[in-house]
Amino acid sequence: MKQIVGVADMKVSNNPAESIITYSLGSCIGVVIYDPVVKVGGLLHYMLPESSIDQDKAAARPYMFADSGIPRLFKTAYQLGAVKRRMKIYAAGGAEILDQKGFFNIGKRNYMALKKIFFKNNVMINRQDVGGNVNRTVRIEIATGDIYVKTSGSREVKI
Amino acid sequence: MITLQELMKEIKNLKPIPAVVNQLLTVVDHPDSSMEDISNVIQYDPAITASVLKTCNSAFFGLKHPAESIKDAVNMLGTDQVIELVLLKSGAKALAGSQKGYGMERGDMWRYSVSSAMIAKQVAVKLSLKNKNTIFTSALIKDIGKIILEPHVYDSFQKIKDLVERKNFSFREAEKKIIGIDHAELGAMIAKMWKFSPKMIKIIRHHHLPDETMIKDKEIAAVYLSDCICMMMGAGVGSDGLSYWFKPQVIKELGLSADDVTLIIAEFGMNMQAVEELLHIV
Repeated sequence: MKQIVGVADMKVSNNPAESIITYSLGSCIGVVIYDPVVKVGGLLHYMLPESSIDQDKAAARPYMFADSGIPRLFKTAYQLGAVKRRMKIYAAGGAEILDQKGFFNIGKRNYMALKKIFFKNNVMINRQDVGGNVNRTVRIEIATGDIYVKTSGSREVKI
Repeated sequence: MITLQELMKEIKNLKPIPAVVNQLLTVVDHPDSSMEDISNVIQYDPAITASVLKTCNSAFFGLKHPAESIKDAVNMLGTDQVIELVLLKSGAKALAGSQKGYGMERGDMWRYSVSSAMIAKQVAVKLSLKNKNTIFTSALIKDIGKIILEPHVYDSFQKIKDLVERKNFSFREAEKKIIGIDHAELGAMIAKMWKFSPKMIKIIRHHHLPDETMIKDKEIAAVYLSDCICMMMGAGVGSDGLSYWFKPQVIKELGLSADDVTLIIAEFGMNMQAVEELLHIV
């Protein structure tokens, strides 16, 4: 069964029959986590780096922002028995519009926010497909932890 | 390169946007129009009327009593909501298909167009711009040129991609260079043949801002900024991806700050679920 993660949304599962997918990442970032021992996987699709821009919206939609969404992703996985040091981490998205001055680079800001949070919490990204000008769709299979990425107009590939 | 005659022929085969849109836009963005004027224009098109009433009476709106006429619908849902539905319904058929050349599956272009129109309206309301319905409609149909250009993009995709990846071209610039015309120019041609207002033709023509001086036109600037935001948010984006230029002066030109733009994105994030639901019922 396919669990769909919308924009500013998150799903965590330990059901081996499920896969979790998020479509069309653009400048948003999809964070995928997986603990192979307990076979718990999760996927977060956040839009913006910092919740300080609008605390009310962050309270209503915590998965909209990196700083309010990422901790919730990990905590939800811990509740299903996942352990931080066993976790495999994958990040995709953070694409950029063509911008010579880099003034409006939400994709890069989203990625920097992720790096900052991971650095503070001693978490390493195992693999990533970040940046560029492409739109990505990401999927994880809970039974195996296999992750697939698809860019618009191309076929899905296993990473 | 493709000839103008070939293009004209292909445009004639397109599913047109119903004429009610033109009449409606001349009425709605006029300050003296009454609710009655608006209802009368819509009722003139029975197919759109029936379709709008069906949607108004769907579970999405949860009306206590069914709307039996456009006037009922306007009274219950408000003029803005009804106008928005008519405009969306009008574009739905033309924009519904898949666009293989742009790597867009069925529904992608529609999802992108509706999202972009919603952001444009949000920007127009925030800036208290006049003509917000014209801005909404222009944002909704601005990529209509892609429907005609799509098979040509498909045939030349590798050449276009090479220019984008190796020569720093935007996707639009590469279309122009390889095919001889880009989707914005072609969209303006279509809008002209469909007798849209000169204002809308201009917005469609300039929605990627090939000529930076056009940024002074607030309506163009609003549609352009909304398109950039929509592209970054990714919904329905095709294989052209985010390969379009962002000109940061648009933010200043509209009297906004970078934080304002981030807030517009956050606001859109709050509405996205409603947009998804709307996509299913329109």
